[in-house]
Amino acid sequence: MGRRKKTSNALAVQVDAEGKIKYDAIARQGQGKDKVVFSKYTDLLPKEVLNEDTPELQKPDEEAVKELTEKTRLALEKQVSQKIAAAMPVRAADKQAPAQYIRYTPSQQGVAFNSGAKQRVIRMVEMQKDPMEPPRFKINKKIPRGPPSPPAPVMHSPSRKMTVKEQQEWKIPPCISNWKNAKGYTIPLDKRLAADGRGLQTVHINENFAKLAEALYIADRKAREAVEMRAQVEKKMAQKEKEKKEEKLRELAQMARDRRAGIKSHGDKGDEARERDEIRHDRRKERQHDRNISRAAPDKRSKLQRDQERDISELIALGMPNPRSSSEAQYDQRLFNQNKGMDSGFAGGEDETYNVYDQPFRSGRDMASNIYRPSKNIDKDAYADDLDTIMRTSRFAPGKEFSGADHGQRRDGPVQFEEDPFGLDKFLEEAKQHGASKRPSTSSRSKDDYHDKKRRKE
Amino acid sequence: MDVQKHSVHTLVFRSLKRTHDMFVSDHAKSVALDEERNPSEGGVHSMALALPPSQARHDTSRTGASVSDIHRHAGGAERSHAHSTSLMEGGGTRNSALTRKAPTMPKPQWHPPWKLFRVISGHLGWVRSIAVEPGNQWFVTGSADRTIKIWDLASGKLKLSLTGHISTVRGVAVSSRSPYLFSCGEDKQVKCWDLEYNKVIRHYHGHLSAVYDLDLHPTIDVLVTCSRDATARVWDIRTKANVHTLTGHTNTVATVRCQAAEPQIITGSHDSTIRLWDLIAGKTRVTLTNHKKSVRTLVLHPRQYTFASGSADNIKQWMFPDGNFIQNLSGHNAIINTLAVNSDGVLVSGADNGTIHMWDWRTGYNFQRIHAAVQPGSLDSESGIFACLFDHSESRLITAEADKTIKVYKEDDTATEESHPINWKPEILKRKRF
Repeated sequence: MGRRKKTSNALAVQVDAEGKIKYDAIARQGQGKDKVVFSKYTDLLPKEVLNEDTPELQKPDEEAVKELTEKTRLALEKQVSQKIAAAMPVRAADKQAPAQYIRYTPSQQGVAFNSGAKQRVIRMVEMQKDPMEPPRFKINKKIPRGPPSPPAPVMHSPSRKMTVKEQQEWKIPPCISNWKNAKGYTIPLDKRLAADGRGLQTVHINENFAKLAEALYIADRKAREAVEMRAQVEKKMAQKEKEKKEEKLRELAQMARDRRAGIKSHGDKGDEARERDEIRHDRRKERQHDRNISRAAPDKRSKLQRDQERDISELIALGMPNPRSSSEAQYDQRLFNQNKGMDSGFAGGEDETYNVYDQPFRSGRDMASNIYRPSKNIDKDAYADDLDTIMRTSRFAPGKEFSGADHGQRRDGPVQFEEDPFGLDKFLEEAKQHGASKRPSTSSRSKDDYHDKKRRKE
Repeated sequence: MDVQKHSVHTLVFRSLKRTHDMFVSDHAKSVALDEERNPSEGGVHSMALALPPSQARHDTSRTGASVSDIHRHAGGAERSHAHSTSLMEGGGTRNSALTRKAPTMPKPQWHPPWKLFRVISGHLGWVRSIAVEPGNQWFVTGSADRTIKIWDLASGKLKLSLTGHISTVRGVAVSSRSPYLFSCGEDKQVKCWDLEYNKVIRHYHGHLSAVYDLDLHPTIDVLVTCSRDATARVWDIRTKANVHTLTGHTNTVATVRCQAAEPQIITGSHDSTIRLWDLIAGKTRVTLTNHKKSVRTLVLHPRQYTFASGSADNIKQWMFPDGNFIQNLSGHNAIINTLAVNSDGVLVSGADNGTIHMWDWRTGYNFQRIHAAVQPGSLDSESGIFACLFDHSESRLITAEADKTIKVYKEDDTATEESHPINWKPEILKRKRF
């Protein structure tokens, strides 16, 4: 009574008709007491299979449905008209309902109130709505949504726990692109190729490949055998040929031997003749031999010639003595007949001397001949003998000339400028003389002054 | 299908149960109840806990296992639930004032199997959505090649191609109240095409991201679209005004359905919740959080007041108007992209891997599995189903697939109950946790 009640949001414990505590009051907190909320365990158990004719399963009869339809329709129409009221055209003001009279009995009675009367009559009239009136309130303000209705109790058992095995089944490996690598990760090669599906497909090789390989092998072997056989046969043939040739040669040698030995069956020439023939033959042979050698190695020099052309250092290296024996000491000739004596070299510390070169580059005797001097025959060299004719041609002289062209004479020297071609100086002098009657001044002086001024300026 | 490994006592127990069901059960007789256990909790405990091993061994050691024990422990959840509620009402008296319902497993209704009978190719991209005209003459498909094509239903020939979207067309709908075709795409556009002129006449501008699905209200001229921006928007067709923006989801809203009864809008989202909306107020009525994975598809039963939602973990059935959970249809272990339901009670679920499962709606019995071959020229991995729909006669199932074809299935007339028998093995012990 006296204590101020602190507000708390604890619900009072309620008890239902049988004395059991109503735990579903929590689930029904903000809602009307006749709102349907399923909160009992029995609500989620299946019911007995009912016959089709039971009244619970029948749809409500048509009248009820019609009534409901009508009610809904009117309600919806009202909603719709409110929403589209802005779009509707302005009409004349609606006639309001006729005035209502209410008899009111105030609670406070007495002589002072209501001038003694027990009841009052009140006339209730609907206020007129101005048809042209724009909306009174701003409805474009955004306000946060109110709290939702309390959540309905969940009428099923909690989901089954995930086993580790099942979670592993749903594991998705991270995507490793063959094209992009935005963060520049270094990924091992087996992970890069993991998504390729390399291990999943079995490789099917056509059996004809094996057949082809076998056939090739067999063909190769056969070819080799054939080649070998052929080679062997050829070798045998060659051997036979060789033997034959050898036989022939042996025979020839035998014949020659026989002939040389003098055992001959036909043709006696006589002993001396034979000897002479033999000598001639031998000498011819020798001559041929020498000729052959000289032809074959023409560079081959005699020993003496070789030694004469050797350098002295070579002779020393070979240990051959000096061919010239002279007692005098021998000097290099380049050392003689030179300008420089004792005082060659340092020049006493002078820096300004220009002593880079001690001899002229080219002595004067050569220079004269090296300077170009045109000869009288140059023209002849260039133009042959036609020089005169060439000079006199009028091939390059124009047939027609420009009008007003100056027939300038041929110049022998530089251009000679005319003194005062237009007579400007004379004119200026006259002008000065005429205009300068106040200050007479001679032309020559003005000229001099002008020139002096010019010189001073410079 | 994997063979589920069971312990010996489970197998023995089940065979005993089957024998009992077949020969012994007297449905009229009531069952003696165990008083020691807390009646309301007992049923719950028997469902939730595994069969206590000591009890089981105890049972099997006794050759004549008593009926009551079997009944007590054979915790078919549906029975115990009804059991517990009826007990509470009755006040827990011992006697047979409570006659329980017969503990029989309902037998699934037999449906003929479905077979492929036509493949329509013509699209140059995935076919993402289908809608059938109210007169059942033609159907429309929207595709990833940005075109909308209109095909003749009977012959499968192309009638018209509409271009205008600049990205994948994710949803198409044909209005039954006016000659309009609505389409939505990943380019945030929602277009209204006038079918008399084959031109776009309206754009509904407002979505901030790709629009994934749309649906038309059957009785009011209102269009609802859902988008990747976690909202669903309600548009007035004529004025193009965005009447309501249904916010509340925290992730892409993948699917939306409209109906005339309450709740008028149902959305399924990638945050694995389903929301039932109040269209008048524009607010969520109920949030269903039972799914574990994204809810990619919803379907409303044409005659019952129920709907089903498909997600990668399960297909679940729910009741209107409050979204009470009915049952799970499990077995299709793939990402379910689409559901469709027949008046005969055939539920079709199409998955992202190209498989189609056919279920009996009432019992959840999967009576057929189809995996159609891809169009020649497509890779085998290009099989997936993005949308499936029954035509208005409910005799043809049209599927929009990822190999750029539209496949049409029909029931196999030559099949009979003997040739394709029902192989119904329900789970007796619901030991699975949801």
